[in-house]
Amino acid sequence: MRAGLLTCRAESRWESAYQQQLPEQEPGMPIAFAGVSCQFQKNRVSINMVTNRGWFSRWAAVPLALISLSLSAQEASLPLQIELTLTNQQTKIELPLYPAVQEFKILSTTNLATGFAEDTSGQVSGYTWMESLAGPANFYRLQITPMSSNALLTATALNRLAYGPTPDELERVLAMGPQAYIEEQLAPELIEEQLAIDAVTANSGWQYVTATGTGSSSTLYVYLTAVGEGYVDDLVLVRGTVAGTGANLLRNGGFESPLVTNDWTISSNHLGSGISTEIKHSGTGSLHLVATSGGSTKESAIWQTITPALSSSQQYTLSYWYLAKSNDLSDLTLRLSNSGITSSPDALLTPATKLFNNLAGIDDLRAWHVLHAVQSRRQLLEVLDQFLENHFVTQYSKSRDYFDTYYNDSALLGRLATQLEFKENSRWRQAPLNPQCTFSNLLVISAESPAMIIYLDTVNSKGNAKNIANENYARELLELFTFGVDNGYDQADITNMAKCWTGWSVNIMDLTNEFNPLAKSLRDLYPGVAVSNLAGVWAFQYKQGNHNTNSKTIFPGKTVPARFGSPYAGRSYQLTLPARTGTNGIKDGYDVLAHLADQPFTQEFLSVKLCRLFVHDDFDVGYDFTDPNLSPEGQLVRDCMMAWETHSPKGQIRKILAAIFNSGLFRSHGASMHKVKTPLEFVVGTIRTLRSQKPDGTFTAETDGYSLRMPMNRMGGMSLFDRGDPDGYPEAAPGWISAGTLAERLRFVQSVLIAVGQDDTAKSDSGRNNVTDPVALIKNKLPALKWPDAGAVVDYLLSVIYPGEGKANLDLYRTTAINFLNTNESGLASPFSSLSMSGNPPPYDTRVRGMVAALLTFQRFQEQ
Amino acid sequence: MQHLNIITRRGFLDRSFKIGLGVALSTLVDIPVVMKRALAEGNIGRNGKKLLFIFLRGANDALNSVIPIRDSAYNTANRPDILIPSDVGTDYSVTGPCDSPMNSSAADPTYGYTSAIRLGNGFAALHPSLKFLAPLYNAGDLALLHRVGYPKQSRSHFDSQNYWENGSPGNNLAKDGIFYRTLLESGLAHTAPLTGVSVQSSLPLLLRGSKAAMTNLTDPTRYNLLGIPNTLTGNAKADNALRTANGFPFPEKRNRELLALQYQNLSDTLAIFASLDFSDAGNTFRDDASTDNDDAPYYLFPTSNATNGGYALHGNNAAKYVVDTGAYSFFRNLKAAALILNKTEAIIAGTEFGGFDTHSNQGAITGQHANLQRRIAWAMYALRKYFLNYADKATWDNLIVVTLSEFGRTTVQNSDLGTDHAEAGVMFVAGGAVKGFQAGNSSGVFGCSPNDAYNGQSLPWVTGQTGSMFGVSSRYLKRAVDYRSILGKLIRDHLGATQAQLNRIIPGYAVPGECLLSGGVSSIDGTRIAGELGVV
Repeated sequence: MRAGLLTCRAESRWESAYQQQLPEQEPGMPIAFAGVSCQFQKNRVSINMVTNRGWFSRWAAVPLALISLSLSAQEASLPLQIELTLTNQQTKIELPLYPAVQEFKILSTTNLATGFAEDTSGQVSGYTWMESLAGPANFYRLQITPMSSNALLTATALNRLAYGPTPDELERVLAMGPQAYIEEQLAPELIEEQLAIDAVTANSGWQYVTATGTGSSSTLYVYLTAVGEGYVDDLVLVRGTVAGTGANLLRNGGFESPLVTNDWTISSNHLGSGISTEIKHSGTGSLHLVATSGGSTKESAIWQTITPALSSSQQYTLSYWYLAKSNDLSDLTLRLSNSGITSSPDALLTPATKLFNNLAGIDDLRAWHVLHAVQSRRQLLEVLDQFLENHFVTQYSKSRDYFDTYYNDSALLGRLATQLEFKENSRWRQAPLNPQCTFSNLLVISAESPAMIIYLDTVNSKGNAKNIANENYARELLELFTFGVDNGYDQADITNMAKCWTGWSVNIMDLTNEFNPLAKSLRDLYPGVAVSNLAGVWAFQYKQGNHNTNSKTIFPGKTVPARFGSPYAGRSYQLTLPARTGTNGIKDGYDVLAHLADQPFTQEFLSVKLCRLFVHDDFDVGYDFTDPNLSPEGQLVRDCMMAWETHSPKGQIRKILAAIFNSGLFRSHGASMHKVKTPLEFVVGTIRTLRSQKPDGTFTAETDGYSLRMPMNRMGGMSLFDRGDPDGYPEAAPGWISAGTLAERLRFVQSVLIAVGQDDTAKSDSGRNNVTDPVALIKNKLPALKWPDAGAVVDYLLSVIYPGEGKANLDLYRTTAINFLNTNESGLASPFSSLSMSGNPPPYDTRVRGMVAALLTFQRFQEQ
Repeated sequence: MQHLNIITRRGFLDRSFKIGLGVALSTLVDIPVVMKRALAEGNIGRNGKKLLFIFLRGANDALNSVIPIRDSAYNTANRPDILIPSDVGTDYSVTGPCDSPMNSSAADPTYGYTSAIRLGNGFAALHPSLKFLAPLYNAGDLALLHRVGYPKQSRSHFDSQNYWENGSPGNNLAKDGIFYRTLLESGLAHTAPLTGVSVQSSLPLLLRGSKAAMTNLTDPTRYNLLGIPNTLTGNAKADNALRTANGFPFPEKRNRELLALQYQNLSDTLAIFASLDFSDAGNTFRDDASTDNDDAPYYLFPTSNATNGGYALHGNNAAKYVVDTGAYSFFRNLKAAALILNKTEAIIAGTEFGGFDTHSNQGAITGQHANLQRRIAWAMYALRKYFLNYADKATWDNLIVVTLSEFGRTTVQNSDLGTDHAEAGVMFVAGGAVKGFQAGNSSGVFGCSPNDAYNGQSLPWVTGQTGSMFGVSSRYLKRAVDYRSILGKLIRDHLGATQAQLNRIIPGYAVPGECLLSGGVSSIDGTRIAGELGVV
C-alpha cells in the first residue's frame, strides 16, 4: 500500500499551486482517481486524472505556462512520468518509459463533448510528442498500444530457452505461438534433426581432396605438420579450375615408380616415407608419409620442382586421394611454395568425425559444442547442456596433466583429455531426452565421469589404513553441486563424506568395461606392459584397496530448518552408512548421491540456479518459505521445489522447468530483457540473429565454430571445458561487463560484419570464418521493391534483432539507423535508395553492413 | 526543463531513474544525496595519492617468503624438502639493514646467492629470489607485514579471495569491492571516466560494484573500435552512432544502469587510451644505473626474453634472467597499470598473477614458488625505478603498491613436496611514503619478531613446535593483524578518506569488537590482533 504525491506546479505567472494527496492504492490494482483539480488564479488550468492502465487526460490550454505532473504508480517497474510543456511555439509531451510499447498515440479534442481523435499535427519521436501550437486550446489524451503478450513471450522464450532468435525461428515461433514452442522445447526427443555437423564420415576410407589456386611458384611441398603417418595417392596437378582434366604437370604423382630425387626429394624429418604397395588407392603403389617431426617448408617436406615452370597468373587445380592412419591423424598439407595453392584435408574432417574416432583436440570439441548452439533446433537441450557443463565443472587441462604421467606424446594427451570431456558432454546431451530425467540422474553422471574424478582429486584419494581422504570432491559436491555454500552442512560432514569417495578412481579398461567400474583394468590384467602400449579406454574404476571401509555418519542429528516449511521442516537428514568391504564399498558413493539429490537444500539451490538462468539474476538461497510476505522470487523457488518434491520420481527436470516457464515472472515484464548475455551467448547470439536459410540451403550467417574461441576468451576469459575454478562461469552481468570487455564485444560484432575479402586484418580480428551477409538476409525476407527503402530495411532488422522491445521503444534506434543508411562516412547526405547494388564491394552492401554493425553495438543487444 | 521526480524511497535507492539514462554523467542535475555528501568529505582522488594493487592468486606460502629463520620450528623436520637454508656465515640475530646480495661481477648468475637473506630485524629473512627487494627495504620504502589474516579464516580459494576483495570476511553476499567503495566515496566515480582500472582478463571484485563502472582492460593494445568500412571516417561514423545511442532513454530493467554506466565509461576512456603507447615497441623504460652490477641498466618491464634482465647482454644467457619466461604477460599488464596511473587521472590501478597454489612440488630456492617470488621482487623494484625516473601524474612518493593473497600455507609440508591451505600470510607494501627501515620505523618488518608489540599490546612471534607457526589447529600460522587494518590505514592515511568514510568502505571498522583500528581481542574469534600498523 503506498501513497503518491501529485504535484501540479507552474512557473511564472502562476500565483498558487495546488497539491493533492493521492489515496492509498492496493499494489497491482489499477489506479483510479476522481476529478483531481488543479486551479490557478491567473490562467485557468484544470487537470482531470482518470488513470487506468495508462489512460489519463489533462487539459493544458494556456500558452506561456509550464506545468509539470508526476505520478508514481504502484507497479515498481512501471512508474508513470508524463510531462506537458507549453512554450511559445510548441506543445511538447514527454511520454512514459513503459516497456514493450508498440505505439504511442496522442489524441486530442477542443471540445470534450465531441470525443477525442488522433492529433496528426504532432509527431512522436522516441519518448517525445511535439506539435506546433498554432490551433485552438486542446485537451490531450495518451494512448499506449503494448506489444501483444504472445510477442513478448516469444521474445523471452527465444532469449532464454534458446541462444537468441534467428529470423526463421522468430517467424516459426510467432506462428505456432510461444506456448507451443515451450512445449516443443521441453520434449527434445520429439524434435527431429539431422545436422551436417553431426555427420561422421568414414575414417577408414580414402578421401578425395581438391584445391584450386594460382601458380605462386613451381615447387610443390607435401608434408605432415606433426609427428605421424598417412597415405597419399593419385596426386594430380592440372591447368585450369577443373580437377583431373588435362595433362598432369607432376611427375610420379601416382607413385607407381620408385621415389627418385629427380621426382621427389625427401627431407630428413620425412625420411621414413616411401612407396607402399600394400595400401594404395589405385595402381601399384601410394606414397606412405612418415614424419618424425612437423614439417612446414622445403627443408622439412617432400617436394618436387615442377617443369616447365608454372605461371603466377594462371590458375591450377591440385587433386589427390588421402588415407588417414587412425589414431595417428596428423595434418597433411600440400602446397606450392608461397602458398598459391594450399590443401589440408584434416580440416575437412568434421568435428563430429574427429570426436567419435578419438581424433579430436579440445578445440574440435569446443567448435562442435558452439556449432550446436548456433544451429540446433533443440535449443533448450543446448542451453541445459551448457548449464550442466557450467554447474558440474571439470577441466580439460587437469585431465591432460593427469595423463602426462603415462604418455609422452603431447597430441595424444590432448586427445585423451578431450575424450573425457566429450563423453561427459555426450551424457549431458543424452540424459534430458528421457522425459523423466531427474537431477539425481545428472548427479550420478557427474560423479561417474572420469574427468570429475580427476578434477577434484578423488582419483588418488585413499582412506585405507592411516590415510586421510582428500576432501576436495566432498566439499565441492556439497558447496557447489547440491546444497550450496554453508546451506545445511559443516566441516565435519565434509570430512566424513570424503571417506565415502575413496576408491573412486580411473584406469585404462578394456573397451567392453568402459561402464564397469568393478572390472579389472588392463593394467591389472597385463602388469608388465607399459601403459602406452595398452589399447583401451580410460574410464571409471573402483579401487577397493583405497577405500575407507568403516561405517560413516553424515549430518548426524541434523534436521531441516523451519524456514523450509512443510513438508520439509523438521525432517532428519542424517545418513548412516554401514561398514562395507570389498567391492561393496562402491555403494557408499552411490548412497551419498541418492541421499543428497533430493534434499530440500539441493532442491532450493538448484531451483535458485535455474531461476537465475531463465528469469533474472536476483534469486538467492535462504528464503523463509513460511513468510506470508514471501517475494515473488521466493514463491517461484518454492513452486520449483514443489514440482521437484511432489512427483515421482522426484526431481524431474521437465517438471521444474515447466514450473518456471509457466510462472507469472517468466511470462511478464519481470523476466523480459532483464539479463545480460555471457560471452558464449553473445557470440552465438550474434551469428544467430542474422542467420536465415536461403532457398539454396545455405545460410546468411555462418561460423566454423573454431573462430568463436578467441573472442570468447577475450571477452573475459571464457574458456569452454577448461575452467580452473569449480564454481563455474558467472551467470550475472557484473562478472562480464566492464569497459574492456565491452570493447571486445563491440570489436567482435564489427569484425563479424566486415565482408570476407574486404580488410583482412580487421576481419581476422574475430576470425575469417565468422561470416555474415545481411544483404542476403534482407533479400531473403523482403520483396525487391523494399530493398532500397531505408525505413523498411531498418524496420525488418529491428524486428529480428530486438524482438523483445516494442516498436515505440526502438524509435530512436530506428531514426539513428535510417540516418546511418542515408549518410556517407563523412557525414554528408547520401541517399540509401540511390546506392548501387553492384561493385566490389557494392556500396549498398557496405552501407547495410555498417548499419547492422551499429545496431549490434548498441546497449540493448547485450541483453537477453 | 524542470523535472519533478516523485522518487519513492525504493526508487531512489535502487535506480537513479532519469529520462536519458546515458546522459553524460557530469551533467547530472539531480546528484544523489550520497554523492553530494561525498564531494564535501575526504580527499580521495584530490590529494594526488594513488594506489597500485597486485593480487597474488592461489595463496602465497608466506613462511618461505618472509622467513622466520630464527624460529626453531622452521626446520627440516617440518619442511624436509622445501626449507630455505640459512647461510652458514651469517648471524641472523644481528640487527641492521637488509643484506643485499647483488652480484659482484657482470658474469655471475642473477640468483647466484642461494641462502635466506638476512632482513636485519634479528629474526626474519627473505627468500633468496626476493633479493631485489633489498634496495627498497634499505631505502625505507618497503614494509613486510607478516601474520596477516582475518577471523574465521576460510580455506576455500574463491571464498577467501572474495573476502579479501569485498572487505567483509564471511559475507558472500557482498557483491562489491573495497576499492570500488573507496572510489565511490571519492565522489569522482560518476564524474571522472577513469578512477579505477585493472589490467587482466576480467574486472576483479575489488573494483566491481553496481553504481559505478570501473575499467578493465583485457589487452590495452586492443582498446579501440573498428568501423565498416574500417577507415578513419568509417570508424568515426560508427563511433558517432554509438555515442548518440548511448544517450537514448529506455524503460528500466535490471542491468540497464550497469550497461549505461559501462558504455559511457568505454566512450569516455577510448580517447584517453588512444594517446598512450602500450605496445612492446614502446617498452623502453630502464633502470637508472647498471642493475645488479651488470654492464648496463636492465629493462624495468620484462615482456620478452630480450627485455628480461641481462639475458641479451650476455649472449642469451638464461642464468641472467630476472624473472621466469612465463612472467611476460604479467609484466605487460603491470606496465600498463603503471602507465595508466602515471599518465591519466586514475586513482587506483592493479593487476594479478596466479600459480601460488603450490600443493605439489613447491620447490625451495628454485622451482615454482621461487619463480613467483622473483616476479614479486622485480615488480616492486621496477615500479620504484619507474615512478622515480619517469614520473608524470604519479610520483613514487605519492604511490603505494600493495599485494594481496587469500591466505598462507601449512607450516608442515605435505606428502607431495608442497603445502596446503592455511591461515595467516604476508603482505608487501611499498612506496615512497612507506615508513620502512629507518624511515619512521626501526625495521621494515612487521609481525615477524618475538619483540612485536603494537598499539600497546604484546604480540610476540612465539617460536617452537607449539608456537605461532602452529597457532591454529596445531597446523597453521596464527594471525596477529587483520588485512583490513592494513588496507584501511592506506585508504585513510594515504588516499585521504575520513574515518567516517572508512567505516563505510570497510564495515568492520564500525564494529568496535573487530578491533581493526586500535587492536585488542577480536570479538569474532577471541584472537588478539594489533589493529593498524604504522606503515605510512
